[in-house]
Amino acid sequence: MPLLSSILLTPVITLIILLLMPQKAVRGIRLICAFSGLLTCVLSLQLWMGYDPTSGGIQFEEIIPWVSAIGISYHLGVDGFGVILVMLNSIVYFTGVLTMWDLEDRVKEYFAFMVLLVIGVFGVFMSLDLFFFFFFYEIAVVPMYPLILIWGSGNRAYAGMKLMLFLLAGSALLFPGLLAIYHHAGLNTFDIIALSAHTFDPQFQIFVYPFIYIGFGVLAGLFPFHGWSPTGHVAAPSAVSMLHAGVLMKLGAFGILTVGIRLLPEGAAYWAPTFVVLAVIGIIYGAYVAMRQTDFKFVIGFSSVSHMGIVLLGLNLAVLGSVAATDALNGAVFQMFAHGIMTALFFSTAGYIYDKSHSKTIADFGGLGAQMPRAVSIFIVAGLCGAGLPGLASFWAELLVFLAALKTYPIAGVIVILGLVLTAVYILRVFNQAFFGAPNPKWENLKAQDMSGLHLIPRAILIAVLVIFGFVPRLMLDLINSTTVAFLGNF
Amino acid sequence: MDTLSLILLTTISPLACFIIAIIFLVQQPRAAQGLVLFGSAISLLSAIGLLVQGPVEPLRFLWFQSGAIQLQFGFILDGASLMFGVVVAFITACIMLYSVGYMAHDPGKTRYFALLSFFAWSMLSFVYAVDLLQSFIFWELVGLSSFFLIGFWFEKPEAAGAARKAFLMTRVGDVGLFIGILLILQLVSNFDIPSLLDPQTGLSTQVSPGILNAITLLIFIGIMGKSAQFPLHTWLPDAMEGPTPVSALLHSATMVAAGVFLMIRLHPLFMAAQDTALIVLSIATFTAILASTIAMVDTDIKKVLAYSSISQLGFMLMALAAGSLFAGVFHLITHAVFKALLFLCSGIYIHAYHTNSMAEIGRSGGRRLKATTLGLIIGGAALSGVPPLAGFWSKEEIFAQLGHNGFNIYMAGAFLAAFLTAYYTFRMIFLITKPDQAPASDHSHPEPLNMKAPVLILTLGAIVLGFFGSNIAQGLGLIPQHHSVILMISAVGVVILGILIAYFDYGRDNAPRTGFISKIAPLDTLFTNKWYIDDIYRVTIVAITHALSRILHWIENHVLDGNYDRFGLGILRTGAKSTRVQGGWMQLYLGWAIILLAVVALYLGLQ
Repeated sequence: MPLLSSILLTPVITLIILLLMPQKAVRGIRLICAFSGLLTCVLSLQLWMGYDPTSGGIQFEEIIPWVSAIGISYHLGVDGFGVILVMLNSIVYFTGVLTMWDLEDRVKEYFAFMVLLVIGVFGVFMSLDLFFFFFFYEIAVVPMYPLILIWGSGNRAYAGMKLMLFLLAGSALLFPGLLAIYHHAGLNTFDIIALSAHTFDPQFQIFVYPFIYIGFGVLAGLFPFHGWSPTGHVAAPSAVSMLHAGVLMKLGAFGILTVGIRLLPEGAAYWAPTFVVLAVIGIIYGAYVAMRQTDFKFVIGFSSVSHMGIVLLGLNLAVLGSVAATDALNGAVFQMFAHGIMTALFFSTAGYIYDKSHSKTIADFGGLGAQMPRAVSIFIVAGLCGAGLPGLASFWAELLVFLAALKTYPIAGVIVILGLVLTAVYILRVFNQAFFGAPNPKWENLKAQDMSGLHLIPRAILIAVLVIFGFVPRLMLDLINSTTVAFLGNF
Repeated sequence: MDTLSLILLTTISPLACFIIAIIFLVQQPRAAQGLVLFGSAISLLSAIGLLVQGPVEPLRFLWFQSGAIQLQFGFILDGASLMFGVVVAFITACIMLYSVGYMAHDPGKTRYFALLSFFAWSMLSFVYAVDLLQSFIFWELVGLSSFFLIGFWFEKPEAAGAARKAFLMTRVGDVGLFIGILLILQLVSNFDIPSLLDPQTGLSTQVSPGILNAITLLIFIGIMGKSAQFPLHTWLPDAMEGPTPVSALLHSATMVAAGVFLMIRLHPLFMAAQDTALIVLSIATFTAILASTIAMVDTDIKKVLAYSSISQLGFMLMALAAGSLFAGVFHLITHAVFKALLFLCSGIYIHAYHTNSMAEIGRSGGRRLKATTLGLIIGGAALSGVPPLAGFWSKEEIFAQLGHNGFNIYMAGAFLAAFLTAYYTFRMIFLITKPDQAPASDHSHPEPLNMKAPVLILTLGAIVLGFFGSNIAQGLGLIPQHHSVILMISAVGVVILGILIAYFDYGRDNAPRTGFISKIAPLDTLFTNKWYIDDIYRVTIVAITHALSRILHWIENHVLDGNYDRFGLGILRTGAKSTRVQGGWMQLYLGWAIILLAVVALYLGLQ
């Protein structure tokens, strides 16, 4: 069986099995999900190894005609970016299942929705057909609503509704945009490869590109349409926040890349300066707002806005065709991966602390480092990665994007590099208020509940990934770089 | 053994110890401690092995490639890195040995030793790094280890605050450094230090003097942060909140030394950038004086030593900016030894009497700790530049260089700072050894052997190291400045003057025990309040950052989110209103139908 379909079908089959299983078989459900997560990791690793970076381009293609009358086909394939993001999704899926191991409430339904979300994400990263791309995109977005509404916490009805409305508003922009592309090309095909060979009229590109960019950008935490994301992160259960911030936000960036930039390069170049400004504002704004949050998860949520701004900045710098385009795109894709793993680690650990203490308020704690040393240490690693510390994966991503920014727009470059200080400010604020200082006697009972055994596994995996790519960026950059060169060569 | 295995042993063994200790030995602090000491010994021996082998060609490996950028990592094995590598490994080993006693009863012992090991790894890797980006990475990791060690007792809010301050202030400097490095990468797509420095094809031949000045200045901002130079120096005195052995490490061979070492590494670039060199010289001289003035009024022994470090770092940077690589390296090495010594001595006092106040230590009978007091006096005399101790020779080189290049104002500044150094150092010594009242009770504290041994070894170092100046110069491939006798005499004169005044103020019988500066009230207030620099930051930069984040937070909640919410609620309300149209109320339907018919009829009629 072809590799990509195997990866896509693993969660599909898992979902079918889950639905057939009895409600009570909680243990079995967990085990099956964990196994399926592990299997996708193994298959993704095989994909990573099997992808030939020297020849680059799209590999592992599979085509099955679907609705020939309007040119829809089941067309899968990945380039280097896809390989990396498929890997990201597998890791977050597997560690997400392990993170939710202790869930007791409606386990079957929870995992069913979560697996559905995972299917959607895999589909998007592999689809080379616009119809399927959009189809999987919606599959990935919709389960968020029940997941937040049923298993969420805090103001979940509001958060779920807000998230849904924002994302559907994004889709409402996307749908006409995608249809316009289909019709304007007049090729009677939804195939992305075929469409990318077509040269669209520049006026058309300039008109349609904002629909695509903003439509996908909403999901990528684009300023000023980011409001749903921190609210949604906070209300969602841990593993959902992990998938949401870790992977789902990357769908937006990936969509901009594969549909927006690939199909409408001139439109992208026309709008890039404007969107660079928005991205820079997002980076700085997110950091400043994060400084004043009182809730752990809100800090992480706004840090995501800030960090995804780096991805968007990289994407926009890449289309400007400057000398730094390669670095910019390499950095953006690297950041998608690094940020995905980092936020997964963040939410996974913040979620653990919340599960044990039922508090997310930073000021409630103080000196937690003495009470839960392991959980706190892990959170600190994630925080340091967020602050762009060398030795952890994000450093390389930020380095490349900042370098490109400095080359293309020196002022923007200096501003975003200064943003590094702001990141350190809000991260250290959390450390100092929640983890350092005199221990709060209220939480003495947490001493016995520090992370141990099984709970350490998902976090250890995520940290290992951050450290490995932090010290050996080449493992990933070789893959990204060849694809980037090929991608930009088409311009 | 071949060079590669030696360098790997030097750098990797502390890392391996860190990983093993932090993952497997949390419950076995004694095992962790033993392992870390063992790793440190291996590291020291291999570093010495490398030094004995002598300089060799750099080793390079491909790290990664992105677009036109190719990054390598590897090891540079020239005189400077070989010598300083040994100093780092040696001082770390001494301090680890000392910590066995100092931290004997601390519950977080494994974490402590693991972090020390991590610190050693990052500093050694920084010293041997061949690529500028590699240097930057380990430079940041050095900062990170300092953050964790300063905040080691994180349950104390002061310690946590000091750690944060250190991290943020050095971070501000690092942003400058980072931009500088990225500028280099843009201009030459290469970070290899030897080729950047190459006199024929290096960076200084490829870019205009203006750009070179800009780049070096940005790099110097990083050095200012790390080596605690004005105006980014205020984190270092606060960093005293960490355990004393950590301060000893931080102030001698690691952290603050990293900044100076970076300047040593890139010395040719700074020499090619004349304007930057002058700026560095001015800031360093000013810092040397500023820090000494604060040291002469502070009462906390560790704070005095901290300000003294800031001031001595200023001396090193002065030497480098004035053009003498040798003087900079020499003073860096001698200072590493006698400053580590002084901190270790202060640690024994603090450990024994549970006070940081010099006067208190004296009153409690500080001078009864014989070995420690010997170390304090020798170390202090070396710091002041009393001949023939280590500090005398290295400071002498700095004066000689300043005189040689005709930097007369800076020379005067250096003399002033040297005078103040002698004064505050002997003030410290007199306060401890000549207390105003005899100790109340005679309960003597033992000096444990594992704390005494490092002190004695370093004392020996502070005595003899000065005579190895010519060896160090040789190692760098340089010739030391010719010493002028007049300069030497005046330097000694300044030192003696400082000591005499300190004796008059604090040392003689019936001494007033107040500094001469207290007679000049405005200066006294200024110095006691540390020139108000922290207060200025509090009302400017810190306040502005807070205000901005408050404003943007308000915008997020009230402008952006508020309007989205209003928009959403508006739609809901419109929806709720429009449902009335279909309320199932027959009369209303009928009414609408009639109105509609009337309109149609009217329209048709008007046709």
